[in-house]
Amino acid sequence: MMRRLAPFAVVAAAAVGSYYATLAAAPFGLMRLAEAKIASNAPTNHFTHLPPVRAERQFVVRPSPDLLYSACPYDLTAGPLEVTAVPVPGRYSSISVFDARTDVAFVRNDEQMAGRPMRVVLALEGQTVPVGIETVRVRYATGIILQRVLLADPAEAASVDPIRSKARCRTLAGQQ
Amino acid sequence: MKAVFKWSGLVALGLALGGGLAVWQMQASGLGNDVRVGPWSTGRDIGTAHADMKTRAIVALRGLLALPAQEARYFTATTDSAGAPLSGKCSYALTGGAIEARWWSVTLYDRGGWLIPNRWHRHSIGSARIDADPATRWTVRIGPAEQPGLWVPTGTDGPFELTLRAYRPRGTMARDPARISLPSITRGECRP
Repeated sequence: MMRRLAPFAVVAAAAVGSYYATLAAAPFGLMRLAEAKIASNAPTNHFTHLPPVRAERQFVVRPSPDLLYSACPYDLTAGPLEVTAVPVPGRYSSISVFDARTDVAFVRNDEQMAGRPMRVVLALEGQTVPVGIETVRVRYATGIILQRVLLADPAEAASVDPIRSKARCRTLAGQQ
Repeated sequence: MKAVFKWSGLVALGLALGGGLAVWQMQASGLGNDVRVGPWSTGRDIGTAHADMKTRAIVALRGLLALPAQEARYFTATTDSAGAPLSGKCSYALTGGAIEARWWSVTLYDRGGWLIPNRWHRHSIGSARIDADPATRWTVRIGPAEQPGLWVPTGTDGPFELTLRAYRPRGTMARDPARISLPSITRGECRP
């Protein structure tokens, strides 16, 4: 009896393991693909200010054509990352940090910025960060920082561009 | 040697079945299925460390870089209010009222979650163009043929889906999305 059931047990055990391994690995793999796609236009640890979304140019699945996106694929292995941005007056904008597993580690929107510039440092556990700056600790070295700015009309992109382009991410030299 | 091939083959079969099932579930599921409002569904833990493994994988494939619920709620619909799959050959009336959010929009995608090209470059409609008066009911037409007023082209003869984004949700939308009212989707005529 056991000999007859053994093949089924092997198939079932492999299937269960493969099912959960696929679900666990998918977010990391898909995030890597997105990081690589964005980094093909600009280096890692720099913001790319993407043009308005069109069907012919979609940098990620399910983009919103009502938002103007800027993306900074990051890698903290060389040190913490400083992220700065300013809110765009009179409209929704936000900065969000997605880690390598796709979890959101940080969100700050224009209401929370209350008209003031934002400055945070993104760091791995154990990395030294400058004193007195808001710090966000993340579990993984890589991920994507995304800036969203609401456009009521695509034609507004030109007026929003100079402000959203002030968003910066840069590795902090000498911090490890 | 024959036994080695046999057991290796069984393991390979199991791996293929398990991996295939996971990929199929990721492709076939909505962004989240723990809250349903008419034809719309969403998840409570999108984008958070609390999301279960399956939700996280589905969102990674079908809505990567989605924000957590306190910042934005994402509802998807793959059927009309009568339960029939949304088809690019048909016309629909999307009818709703006030949505408790700082801003909201409804966007049309193919079943993979990608915008469908159309010559009007029009893919969404929302609070930027719709009266903010809470007492006002509004209707948006969705369909293959151009229509005056509030209209979003399907751009395809194939199936499509809608995503309703509610940024900075407020009130009941923020506290208990299962109790809100969302736009109905009523099918009209379909071309052959």
